[in-house]
This record gives sequence, structure tokens and C-alpha cells, in this order.
Amino acid sequence: MILGCSLYHQDDLAGMQSANLQNLPENYTMKFWMLHALSWPQVSFVAEDPKGRIVGYVLAKIEDPDDENEPIRGHVNSISVLRSYRRLGLANKLMLLSQEAMRSVYKAQHVSLHVRKSNKAALGLYRDSLGFEVVKVEQKYYADGEDAYSMQLNLKD
Amino acid sequence: MSKLPNKRALPSREAGQFKELLNLYESRQLKKGLKTADLILKKFPEHGETLCMKGLVLVHMGRREEGIDLVKKGVRLDLTSHIVWHVFGLIQKGEKNYEEALKSYTQALRFEKENINILRDAASLQTQLRLYDALVETRHTLLRLRPNLRQHWVALSIAHYLNGNTKDAKAVLESYLSTLKNVPPHDVEQSETLLFYITLLEELGEHSEALSVLDSNSRSRAIVDRTAVSETRARLLTKLGTPEAEEAWHTLLERNSDCYDYYAGYLSNKGHTLTEPSPAALQIVSDLAAEFPRAKAPKRLSLNLSTGDEFKARAEAYIVTALVKGIPSLFSDLKSLYADPAKKDAIEEIVERLREHYKKETAAPSGSEEPTTYLWTLYLLAQHYSSLGKHQKALELLEEALEHTPTLPELHTFKGRVLKRAGDYLGAARCVNDARVLDGQDRFLNTKTGKYLLRAGMVKEASNVLGLFTKKDASSPGADLEDMQSMLYLLEEARAHEKNGHPNLALKKYMAVKKIYDEIEDDQYDFHGYCLRKFTLNAYVRMLKWEDNIRGQASYVTAALAASKIFVAAHDNPNLVKSLSSTSEELTDAAKKAKKKAKKAAVKAVEEKKNAPTAGATHDDKGIEPQSNKDDDPDGLKLLGAPDVLDQAAKVLAPLTTVAAGSVGVWCAVYDVAVRRGKVLQAVSALGKAKGVDAESPEVHVRIVDLKLREAKLAEAAKENVKEIFVEGVKKLYPGDVGVETFNSQYLQRGEGRAESVLACARVLVLLGAPQEEVDNAVFELLAGERGLGVKDAVKALEFLRSVKSAREEDFRAACDARFELSTAFKSKEEQAVIREGVMTRGPNGGKDEAVTP
Repeated sequence: MILGCSLYHQDDLAGMQSANLQNLPENYTMKFWMLHALSWPQVSFVAEDPKGRIVGYVLAKIEDPDDENEPIRGHVNSISVLRSYRRLGLANKLMLLSQEAMRSVYKAQHVSLHVRKSNKAALGLYRDSLGFEVVKVEQKYYADGEDAYSMQLNLKD
Repeated sequence: MSKLPNKRALPSREAGQFKELLNLYESRQLKKGLKTADLILKKFPEHGETLCMKGLVLVHMGRREEGIDLVKKGVRLDLTSHIVWHVFGLIQKGEKNYEEALKSYTQALRFEKENINILRDAASLQTQLRLYDALVETRHTLLRLRPNLRQHWVALSIAHYLNGNTKDAKAVLESYLSTLKNVPPHDVEQSETLLFYITLLEELGEHSEALSVLDSNSRSRAIVDRTAVSETRARLLTKLGTPEAEEAWHTLLERNSDCYDYYAGYLSNKGHTLTEPSPAALQIVSDLAAEFPRAKAPKRLSLNLSTGDEFKARAEAYIVTALVKGIPSLFSDLKSLYADPAKKDAIEEIVERLREHYKKETAAPSGSEEPTTYLWTLYLLAQHYSSLGKHQKALELLEEALEHTPTLPELHTFKGRVLKRAGDYLGAARCVNDARVLDGQDRFLNTKTGKYLLRAGMVKEASNVLGLFTKKDASSPGADLEDMQSMLYLLEEARAHEKNGHPNLALKKYMAVKKIYDEIEDDQYDFHGYCLRKFTLNAYVRMLKWEDNIRGQASYVTAALAASKIFVAAHDNPNLVKSLSSTSEELTDAAKKAKKKAKKAAVKAVEEKKNAPTAGATHDDKGIEPQSNKDDDPDGLKLLGAPDVLDQAAKVLAPLTTVAAGSVGVWCAVYDVAVRRGKVLQAVSALGKAKGVDAESPEVHVRIVDLKLREAKLAEAAKENVKEIFVEGVKKLYPGDVGVETFNSQYLQRGEGRAESVLACARVLVLLGAPQEEVDNAVFELLAGERGLGVKDAVKALEFLRSVKSAREEDFRAACDARFELSTAFKSKEEQAVIREGVMTRGPNGGKDEAVTP
């Protein structure tokens, strides 16, 4: 593998958007990507090929707490690796980097995410490799009507 | 109609109503606001400020034209009121007319110099327009008015920095930091501010100071971003040339042992690169591999840094690991090593040997290897040979693999890729579709199929396939992809339209790409205020730099150059639009029905959008921005037939001369437009720049002749002072008295039979009005020449013959068809139609795919 899991920057956003459009049906306009880069730049990461093209990314944020006493929570909005770059453990690496940044920069205590009920591969990664647990089922969460598992991981201090 | 200030003052009752009106607007209680405005206007029908507020309310209610008329009236009636200019500015800003909006705001500030809201908006506009001098002034004023607001300090520092005055930026920030009291611990905003301060110090070359600030604030945990600390530390120590740098890079590797930038830093600190083979560098990397056993990077890097037998041993181990694991990207990973022919050959030898071994082991009942390992070996070998142009061999290997495991999508997609390279775009699309059918849930395969169908010119089928993953309530799959800003889709479909002879439809897509870039440019606006509130300063300035250069990105350049070409073609051929409209009228009944349906859906979508509230709207608030209009030119014929096509072309090309100044294509396109607009000096300058980038470029050659042929006419029309410079400029590009025919043949000779040179010379022959036979013979040289002819160039040559209506086009086509056995690009139209039928049949077992049959 010739890839870096570098911290992402504004320069990477076009590549992330393109990878997202190729891989997933949940897509965002550029302003949404910019919002993340300009609000919580430390918690998203990219993987690049030898030519510097984006082949994988994790787009994450820190939730605004409703009140001051609530523990700080991170949230993974989107993660994807191009099919041609799978089996390299990139998704796992990206998630670990993101979680560590959430913990150390923002002192986040939990990370949450949504995943399709039928997505066995992703469930394997989150539940078995990373230790996420299912908190609840959100019915018809996805645009095509599929249910989502809402999952959460506690970040150790 | 006196404009004296005392006309502005209202008696106490109406004054109270006016205050109420402002509040109602703020809370968007539009109906009430309208009523209140009318109450005031009953008594004072010429009160400019009320007229403006009423206009503003009407705009928010969707009565835009009416509202704007009132605002303009209000401005005229009270030219020295800051309120009227503020309202006018808001409207213009909503229309993304930033220059005019700033003018209005500047007017408003003349009459109320210290209005915080207006100043803030003005600052955002100045940043958007990159008027940094003015921005500094505005930020100074804001700071003076409210020095207790932290963001005003930071904003001024940023303004100085953007204005190129890093010293003052630093000074302001230092003042600010020194006055802070009671900073909460572990404050992310403070952390980011300090990191920005360090950026300033670094840019000023004050590396020691930067390091000291970094270290002390990192120790005190004032800076919370440990990765940023480590990266900055390593960078600064390297710049300072201290021995601690090594440890700093090592710390980074401990955190992330897969980041190539860290390895580059570590090695460079010791005087090595990631690519120069050297025993010392190899040793370093091997030590790191031992220290980080799970990291893949050091193992891969050792392949760069080793040679000979050392390389062979390591390469084999690396490859075997990857084959056993079944890693699809192995070839992409190894490809960069092929720059060294010895390594390329070594890899071929290794993999062929492994193939033999795995084949034997797989066949034997008690074999020690997994059958999948053999499969991935075949896959790797196929990729290897195809990259060397040995497509037939690659296909044979893939056939063997497919027999073994027909259900592995990667085999089908790569087969498609090989066929694409060999010029069989239809077969390629069929294979990729076969892959897609194996995993219908995978959008990646879906997108690839769409792309390959578009490459084959099958626009309808591509739309159906892509539609499996686009939003169901969009008016069409393409509309959704355009909304979601998919450059890939827009460029590929545009290209397909061009190949299918519909430049108007292509132009629509290229201009859609331009619109997306306009959107992205607008997107930054809200962040001028936002980032200062959030203190994400480094990210913010980086974003501004990025925005300054976005039009240099490949997708914009491609779209702009292609659009410009089409505009120029429309200018050169006034009958183009007519000929295109007549073909578009010949729609079948089914197509007509589909068109009607799409039109209906489009109208419905726009209606719904109109009635749906815009972002941030409540209480029937339509927001201040204009609603998107129905597209009144879906076929692009209006755009193509407009009288100002050259101006349009110039507009899309304009940003490229700064952000893509190293591109021959850009300067040639600028020349094409300028020379037709009679802007002779611009034309000469552009062509000179193109020549400066690549003097032997075929595109430059053709245009030099073109310019020479136009010279006399252009010189005659030019003004006296321009004429001399123009003629001088032409002389520089076309020196000497050589006749154009000779000039052309000289270029041909220098080209040594390269396809692009041959075609360039043929194009020049056409410019010179040479007889058809001479032109044909020039092109046919491609087939006779000793130099190999590639599929892409053959396709270009055929298209050229078609464009000049050559009598020998058919001969050329047939010759290419015979020469390029694997290609279908040279089959007759009838043959291609038959092959096209078979593209969407499902998998190797046939049977149409109902979901996507058009």
C-alpha cells in the first residue's frame, strides 16, 4: 500500500466529495464538506493513493451539547473507501485516527454513527473491530427506506 | 421631493411604528410587518426608509419584483439614509452581486460610520472580493468600537495576514494574547488561536520563537491538538536543523506509522528521499519496519530503496503477502516501481514464477495454497501485461481467472478496462455491467458502469443505470447528479454528447460544471464571519487560498476548454444551431413522450421548490435570495445560438490565465477566442505564452499558421499604434520568410512520424486549402509509417477525415478495423448497433436486465 492516512485539509474536499459520490447514495454539496473542515478540522482524515488522490475518508464532527453538563460526543457523518482499495484496513485506521482526535482535542467521551441494518461488512468493522454497540434502531432512516442501527462507542480517557 | 434629513424624522407615533416594523422584520413576522409599513406610508407615502423596509418584507414574501422596485424608490427618496443603503445592499448580497452590495454598504457607512452590523457585512464582502486593504480598515474600526470582543482582535490579525502584512498580523495577535485573562483550560478556540500565531511566526522565519511558543503552550496544555503540535514541532526542528528533529519525526511515526509524509520527513532529516535507492536509507526503513511490524508503509518503501537481489527478495515477500491476502490494489501499489525497467522485469519474473507455483499447488488435491491466491496472481499478471500494452495476453489471463471464479467483480471490471484500452468501448461497458450485476448494492460498480456506458456513447442506458442510486424524486438521474455536484458525471456525459454529434447538449453540461464552481465560490461567504466566531483560523486561511485556485482544478479546466471550443465552433459555423435543431426534432414517439414526462416533472419540481421555504425561512418567509428559475434552454440551443458566444467563451477562460498558466491548451483556447474577437495583441500574447510552454506542440503549430494567414486582414483592421506591435509579435512567432507550405513540412519532419504531428500538418493543409487528395495522403501516412499507431490517435485521425468529408474515410476506417483487432471503435455503424444491443445483457448467462432496459 502506498497511502498516507493524513489529516485532511480544504485541498482534500473535492476528492472526498468525489469518493463519496462514487461509493454511497448519501451525498452532500461542497458547503457541507467545507463546514466540517472549518468547524472541526482535527477529527476527519483521508487516505491517499501514490498520486495524492483521495481513495478513502472519514468525515466526522463534534456534536453541540444541549447543555453544559452533557458529556461531549463525536459523530461520524460519513466514511467510505473506494472499492479498488479495500482489504487494506483503511476504514479501521481512519476510524481509529478520528476517535483519538475526538478524545484528545475535544475530550469527547462517546462517538456515535448510523449504519444500514443490512451492511454486514460495516457492522463487522464497528461492532467487532472497534467495539461499537447498538443503542437503538431508527426506522426508515435512509432515503430508500432502510432502517439504521444507531451505534455508540465509549472513548476511554 | 426634498432630500433634507428632516424628511426622514417621523412624529412619535410613526417613529414607534417604524421601530416596530424593524422588529417585525427581524423576527420575520412578515404579514404584520407589511401592515405596519402601510400604516406609516398612509401618512408619509414618501418616507424612504419605510418604503425600503416594505420592499424588503415583500421580497421575503416572494413578491420579489415589486419589493425591489419599492426598495429602489426608497433609496431615491432618501439618498443619505444608512438604512436605505443597508437594505439595498442586503438585496444585492442576496443576488450574489457582491461588488454592488459593497458599494451600497460603503454608502451606508458614509452616513453611519460606526454601525456594527453594516461594518461586519462590509468586512465579509471585502474578504469575498479580496479587497484586503479595505478589509484591514474595516476590522480596525470594528476593533476600535468594541475592543472587548475577542473575535475583533483575531479578525484584524487575519486581515493583516491576508493583506500580506504578516508582521502586523503578529503584533495584533500578540497584543491580544497578552491581554487575555481567565482563559479556561483546554479551550479549543484558544488552542487554534495559538496555532495560528505559530503559523505567523513560522512564516516570518522566526523558527526558534515559534518552537518556544509551541513547546510552552503544549506543555501547559493550552494547545490541545497533539497531532498539530507534533507535526509543527518536527517541521520547525527540521528547519532549525537540530538533532532533536529526528526524535520529533519518530514521535509522529509512533502515532501514525502509515503516513508517508512522516516517513519523508524522517528520512529527509537524515539526508535521504523516499525514492532514491540507498543502502543507508534502506537500513533506516528496515529498522522502522521492525519497530512497527503492523505498518505497511516501511515494507513498501523498502522496495523503492533497494535494488538488485535485495530488491527481488523483498519484492517477492511483499507480493506473496498481498496475493495471499487478496488485495485488489496491489498492482496500483507496485506500478510506480516500473519507472525502473530492471525492477519491472524482476517483478514480471517473480509473478510468473509464483503463477506456476500456485497453479500447481491449486491443481493438486493436497496443495498447500489457497485457490484464491492463484486467482489474484492471474489478476495481477493481467494488470501487468495490460499496462505494457499487451492487451491480448492480459485478456487470456483474465479468461482463465474468470473460468475459475466468474463471480469476482474485479475480474470483470479489469477486463472492461483492458478492452477500453484496446479501443473496444462497447465490450468494455458490457464487462463492467457484468461486474455491476454481481453486486447490485455497490454504488462504486454502478458509477463505473455509468462511466463506461458514457464512454461508449450510450447516454440513455447510462442514465438508467445511474438512476438506480439517484434520488427518486429528482426530475432525472442527471439532474440529481448535477445537484450533488458530480463533476465525473457531467464531464463524461458532455464528452459522450460531443462524440454523438450533440455539441449543444455537451455545452449544457460543461456550463453546469462552471455553475458548480460559481456555487463553490459563493459557499465561502458565510465562513468569513463563521470561522472568526469559531476561531478555526489556520483552516480558514487555508480555505481562502484554496478558493483562490479552484478554477485551476482539472475538472474546471477541462470544462472551460471544451465549452470554449464549442462556442468558437458555433461562431465559425452559423448554420450549426440550425443543423442541430433539425436533428433534435426527429424524436420518436416514445422519446417525445419521455421528454414530455421529464418536462412535467421538471416544472413540478421547480413549482415545489418555489413554494417550499428556502433555508432558514419561517412564517412563509421565502428568504432573500432569488428562487432558481425554470431552465428555459434545456437543449442548449439558445446558448449556442446567442450572438455573444465569443464573449461567453472569454468569460469561462478568463480565470485560467492566472491559475492554469502552465497549460498549452489554455493559451491556445485564449488565442482562438481573441483572434476571432479582433483582439490582436491578446491573441499574439496568448500564442506566445503557449509557445513558451511547449514550442513543438501540434496545437501551437496549427495556430501559428492560422495567425500568419489572418495577419494581413487583422493588421489592416488594427489601429495604427496597435498594428506595429502586432506585426512584430507575429514575426516572433513566425520568424523568417519561409512559405507556409515549407513551414508546415519542416514541422512534419521534426515530428518524426508522431501521430499528433502528422494530424497537425494535415489540419494545416486544410487551412491552406490544399487539395483533398493531399490531405488524405497525409493522414494515411499514419498507417504506412514505421512508428506504431495507437487506438486513440487512430480514432482522432478518423474523426478528422470525417470532419473534412474525406472520400477516403471509409478506407481508413476499414484499415483501422483490420489493424486493431480487439477494437470495436472502427466497426461500421450497423455493426456497432448490433454490438450495442448486447451490452446490457446480464452476466455471462445472457438475458436482459429489466431494471435498466430503456
